[in-house]
Amino acid sequence: MFIRSAVGALCAGLIASSAVAAERIEFMFPAPVQGKLSREMQKLVKEFNSSQDGVEVVGVFTGSYDDTKVKSQAAAEAGKPPAVVLMSANFATELAMNDLIVPMKELAGGTDLDGLMQEFWPAVRPNAYFNGDVYSIPFQNSTPILYYNKEHFAEAGITKAPETWAEWVDAAKKLTKPEGERWGIMMPSNYDYNGWLVQALTMANGGQFYNTVYPGEIFYDHASTQGALKFWRDFAHQHKAMPTGVTNSKQVSTSFFSGKASMIVLSTGALTFVRDNAKFDYDVAFMPRNIRNSVPIGGASLVSFKGTTDAQKKGAWEFISWLTSPEKIGHWSRFTGYFAPRQTAYDLPEMKKFTAEHPDALRAVEQLAYAGPWIATYNTVAVRKAVEDEMQALLSDPELTFREAATRAQKNADAVLAPYAEQTALTLK
Amino acid sequence: MNKPTRETPRSFRSARPYLLLLPAFLCLAAFTYWPMLQVLLASLTDKKRVGDIGAFAGAENYVRIFQDAHFLGALANNVLYAAGTVMPSVLFGFLFALALRETTNLSAVLRSILFFPTLVPLVGAAAIFIFVFMPDIGLLDYYLAKLGISATNWLGNPDLALVSLMALTTWKNAGYYMLFFLAGLQAVPQDAEEAAKIEGANWLQRLYFVIIPMLGPTFAFVLVIALISAVSQIDHVIVMTDGGPNNSTNLLLYYIYQQAHEFYDLGKATAATVVTLIALLTLSFLSLRTVERKVHYET
Repeated sequence: MFIRSAVGALCAGLIASSAVAAERIEFMFPAPVQGKLSREMQKLVKEFNSSQDGVEVVGVFTGSYDDTKVKSQAAAEAGKPPAVVLMSANFATELAMNDLIVPMKELAGGTDLDGLMQEFWPAVRPNAYFNGDVYSIPFQNSTPILYYNKEHFAEAGITKAPETWAEWVDAAKKLTKPEGERWGIMMPSNYDYNGWLVQALTMANGGQFYNTVYPGEIFYDHASTQGALKFWRDFAHQHKAMPTGVTNSKQVSTSFFSGKASMIVLSTGALTFVRDNAKFDYDVAFMPRNIRNSVPIGGASLVSFKGTTDAQKKGAWEFISWLTSPEKIGHWSRFTGYFAPRQTAYDLPEMKKFTAEHPDALRAVEQLAYAGPWIATYNTVAVRKAVEDEMQALLSDPELTFREAATRAQKNADAVLAPYAEQTALTLK
Repeated sequence: MNKPTRETPRSFRSARPYLLLLPAFLCLAAFTYWPMLQVLLASLTDKKRVGDIGAFAGAENYVRIFQDAHFLGALANNVLYAAGTVMPSVLFGFLFALALRETTNLSAVLRSILFFPTLVPLVGAAAIFIFVFMPDIGLLDYYLAKLGISATNWLGNPDLALVSLMALTTWKNAGYYMLFFLAGLQAVPQDAEEAAKIEGANWLQRLYFVIIPMLGPTFAFVLVIALISAVSQIDHVIVMTDGGPNNSTNLLLYYIYQQAHEFYDLGKATAATVVTLIALLTLSFLSLRTVERKVHYET
């Protein structure tokens, strides 16, 4: 009897409190670069919550980009779809394809979304759209960029950052000291980063990497990708300017800071991290080109899962609009090093002052003129892993040829894409 | 006459053990047997994600996983990993317990030190060991360099990565198993050992003929829990390698996780779960049977 009345009282209390309390929505976010970012994000959430009474956002830190996808899907499957998730920008396609996230027009009421997207850099737009609808709003974006130690460059007699692959190899060889005392170049080859950099090298080699129009095709055995695979493995095995085996991003940044690596490729999102930790004169430069200057974008966008209430959708849009406003998106960019995907953020006085003080932050923005969309296919992670496995094998095994690796990557990726292709491009009998 | 009144307590008495087991059984049924049954049923369908209805697919998922090089690779890796973690960690656990059998101030301190890694959660230990294993600048290579051994890419070399994970697991678990052996050693009767001593048995002979046989149940138990941990603990794979380089540290549970949550293939994930469970049950059953058959039970 007592228990029943206690439960009754509790229920009544909950109903009463929810009637007056703000609409609670869950916001899941990753912090792939540094722990500092997750604290700053919680600060922003707090600022939003105290700026108004209608919505209460609960920030949930969910680890890496891949983990965030897994966790938000698990929450949705368990019947608790998160209203806002900061999702790796290229996952929106498959989430939309699997009917897990809603188009932004369901949240945004009468907002002109196409007009809004015009305020974002052209390079970040393709990943935001699926089937003609906006499914994600870009928040933090990046491109791969070359960081280099200027003191090492001076010591080796190199006067400018390499612009072509030939110059890049030349510089890497000159900067390397034998017996692993110093590496000319290091690039992260752990899963996720690996696929992104293979794509970057492929694009610089003139390639498309994947079919940007139809998500059922990937071009791993094309000449441009093959050349990229060869170029990367040659740094390790032929030029001996890079350690063999797989190197993760932590190893890469730590080696750079300790002077064990003269050039590294990392995300522009690591810019602030590098600025804070490099105790020497460094600079950043465009990714060198072979056929053309071109890089994929990276970073994350805000999406909303299917199955939330109308009130939650309204709250989610309020939060998304606030977070992607030129002021906030610019603040986040200055704090992290990600570039602000919203062009108008760069017109604000704080941003003008910042880029004048830190011209390296502008390099990432300048490179945007040459940027393209990031691999987004049916079952992206499995398709991406097909080439990552082979790249890792190439870096570890000097006997493996790049042609063999490319053929196997293509075969494995095709097997992943087959069910989708059967249902779409191959339906005609 | 008195028949009915005598019947009731007797039937109650025979039902009593089952009644006492009931709460535990209900929990097991709700959280273990029911999910296992669901996994078994799901493995016979072509479900892609949780919540899909899925059509009946018979044994197709099982055929698919046994044709999948990544599943076979994960299976082979897990066999290697189990052999390379169970044997050394049980052996070290046993040797530590033997060495620290007598309770003195020093042995109490040493026991605590050896037990310490157990207290660190595996996920935390893995995060620390990323830096220990870091080539050239990590703790391990720092000291190896003093011995003239040059930088080694412990986690980035496909031939070494799994061995590095095995070393971490052994470091983590040996102290825990030591605890069971210490308890087991307490139960070895003094008189049996003294009798052997009087018969002129030396230390090794006493160990082999008296102590080890009497520790049979402990060995059986520790072997089984070590085996289960070799299949069920993959925090370090997730934190340190993501199954890489090129799948060389991909273990069964990580394969299942990837198929279920990253690759939208619940059919493969559930089929792999069923295969893993069957293998684990069979191995546990066999090891308990064979080790316990040689057991000397004190009655």
